Amino acid sequence: MPTATAAKKKTVRINGCVASAQAAKYADVDVIAAYPIRPYTATMMALAQMVANGELDAEYIVADSEHSQLSIAHGASSSGARVFTGSSGVGVQFAYELYSPISGSRMPVQMMIADRTLDPPGDFGSEHTDALSTRDMGWLMGWACDAQEAFDNHLIAYRIGEDKRVLLPQMVCQDGFFVSHITTDVELPDSGQVREFLPPYKHPYPLDPRHPVSHGPQIMPEQGPPLQLERARAMEDSMAVIEEVHKEFGEIFGRHYDPWLEEYKTDDAEVVFFLQGGHGVTARFAIQHMREKGLKVGMVRLRTIRPYPTDRVCEVLSKFKVVGVIETNMALGSPASGGALYADACAALYEAPERPLVISFMAGMGGEAIVLKEFYWMTEKMIQAQKRGKIEKRTHWVGFEE
Amino acid sequence: MATYIQIDPTQKLEPFKSVKKLPLEEYFTSGHRTCQGCESALVMKMMAKAAGPRSIILGSTGCMYVANTTYYSTSWVVPWMHTQLGSSGSAALGTSAALKVLMRKGKIKNEPINVIAFCGDGGGADMGVGAISATLTHAEYNSLILMYDNESYANTDIQLSGSTPWGANTTFSSPGKMKRIMHRRWKKNMAGMMAAGHPECKYVATICMSYGLHGMNSIRKALAIGGPTFIHSLDPCPKGWDYDPYLSHEMGELAVNSGVWPLYEVENGVLRLTGRTEQIAAGKIRRVPVRDYLLKQGRFAHFTNDDIDYFQSKVDDMWEKWLIPGVIPFRKDVEADPPPAN
Ligand SMILES: Cc1ncc(C[n+]2csc(CCOP(=O)(O)OP(=O)(O)O)c2C)c(N)n1
Ligand code: SF4
Ligand SMILES: [Mg+2]
Repeated sequence: MPTATAAKKKTVRINGCVASAQAAKYADVDVIAAYPIRPYTATMMALAQMVANGELDAEYIVADSEHSQLSIAHGASSSGARVFTGSSGVGVQFAYELYSPISGSRMPVQMMIADRTLDPPGDFGSEHTDALSTRDMGWLMGWACDAQEAFDNHLIAYRIGEDKRVLLPQMVCQDGFFVSHITTDVELPDSGQVREFLPPYKHPYPLDPRHPVSHGPQIMPEQGPPLQLERARAMEDSMAVIEEVHKEFGEIFGRHYDPWLEEYKTDDAEVVFFLQGGHGVTARFAIQHMREKGLKVGMVRLRTIRPYPTDRVCEVLSKFKVVGVIETNMALGSPASGGALYADACAALYEAPERPLVISFMAGMGGEAIVLKEFYWMTEKMIQAQKRGKIEKRTHWVGFEE
Repeated sequence: MATYIQIDPTQKLEPFKSVKKLPLEEYFTSGHRTCQGCESALVMKMMAKAAGPRSIILGSTGCMYVANTTYYSTSWVVPWMHTQLGSSGSAALGTSAALKVLMRKGKIKNEPINVIAFCGDGGGADMGVGAISATLTHAEYNSLILMYDNESYANTDIQLSGSTPWGANTTFSSPGKMKRIMHRRWKKNMAGMMAAGHPECKYVATICMSYGLHGMNSIRKALAIGGPTFIHSLDPCPKGWDYDPYLSHEMGELAVNSGVWPLYEVENGVLRLTGRTEQIAAGKIRRVPVRDYLLKQGRFAHFTNDDIDYFQSKVDDMWEKWLIPGVIPFRKDVEADPPPAN
């Protein structure tokens, strides 16, 4: 059992992108595949500098597209390297073909995402649709709400993904700008601690002429079910590993995260926001203000969306009267005709003996900030629903209604 | 002068002296289910033999994936990995980069390992051309991209690609009542393009496995020279070209001897016409008419004499009007092309 060591840690003031780059450096990654797209680019700029300065010994490859970035990552990971790559917005989608092959070949590639709205319109702002559109491709996936959490999530994700019981790629996401470009204090650990937590990567079946293997063969349909089942099981089985690794991370680094959900002022809450990512920080402030006015409002922030913590979400959300899902993503024509988070939350709640009312709020679209008065407005909608005992409608577009 | 590019040592791969002196070991063996007479399968076998056991081979989607790597009966004796259709270049790059850094960091044994990525003409000349081009600029990573060109998207049932010859009947270009010639694009000049556009790439060659020793020795040269290299192989495909499988070998010979498929290599920037092509260029043998090549293949069965003449005139242009015959389409003199016969 590893114990917390007295660490030579230091606190630096950096943004989310640089925090991600720092994490890749601490993880001593072997191969980096870069391609420019705002806002995640700043991570790759920082890494280029680290490689140039000799702070990190890695192959830094500037690819010719995101599809190539992920193909480079696939080849490098299959050969046994620890690989780091990343993207934003349409770049995440340009690489789409590779997501399933990488998880299917069980390569623990790590990808940093700083969200960006998809085109059209050309927009730099953060919307989670980019990464969320890949959410069912067999990648572990979760959002940080600040730079420190982003840093920590990268190390945690490598450790989980590379665990032989898991062997899955990871998307470590943060909001573009709200996290990626806002500078805060980040505590960087002692590298000895990181080595203790994250031992060097060793894939069990790399491409090695001494032990030849064939990766990614062509199958007959009847061979499909067991292979797909295995990948599905890896996802399910990762849940125990995720809990174990978060616990160990807390013991070593002193920052204890619930791997699935952050609950903020939920003890006596009757209505809660359910969201992920950087808007959680604003939500905390809004809730403090509303609490002063006596409103029983809280927040449940989803930290890991794949694998989806169905039982936890069911158990936690069913304690409340009303759940307001803040989407910051587009799922056009989906069940609530709003965002993607609603459908998952409702599916999780279906088995609950007593279900809360669930409302989907389309807020922060295009990367606009969700301001305090919008949180107040959404709270008001939730309280009205609570009083009425039913929702007015499934989806509200915040800012477009009275 | 300072050395800016660190090329890792490669394996010493001397040319094979003769067919009789080839090693007996095979690294592409039973287990595949390609068509009878499939020349691309022969390319795989020769390529693996030429490269030897200390190799990693990646292959993009296409016949040479689907028919060769059936689950539980892989034909590969060396480590092999499937790459996506347009990924051969970048996957080779990633693999080579991984070997380099893992050896440098002492995580794996430091020794030269060949990295080969093959792709079809669809995966290479169409979808993956950008990634291959990028890889050929990464001078410090050893890899060979081998494009096996059966002149169609064969695995999906013979659709035309950017590498399909003019006029060919494919399932996306069958002749009809109104239009006899549906495919009116001239074949992309992939090897010439790679040679002309990538000054750091030390070796580009065209091969045809009807000349097996020549093909294998080109592969050995490409692997031994270091850095990224490119080989374009023309592979007769009985299914797609529509001829009796026993003619595969002869079909390759006809492609070369008619001048449709010039053999050459560009080694460290030096261009050399090779094999029969060199003899044609030197006037030692005459090109056989393209008619003899075209009419042996069902995919050209709808050609009229005009079509054959047009095809012949384009091949003649390549030999007579191009600055370097068959390699790069820069003309010696300015003139307008005659419009195609219809
Ligand atoms: C992204 C993508 N698009 C389309 C396909 C369908 N596909 C599978 S094999 C193939 C043919 C590839 O042609 P080529 O590269 O020439 O190889 P060949 O089949 O001729 O050996 C195609 C189009 C695919 N696998 N991936
Ligand atoms: S279709 Fe052509 S390339 Fe494909 S297996 Fe058959 S002969 Fe070979
Ligand atoms: Mg083909």
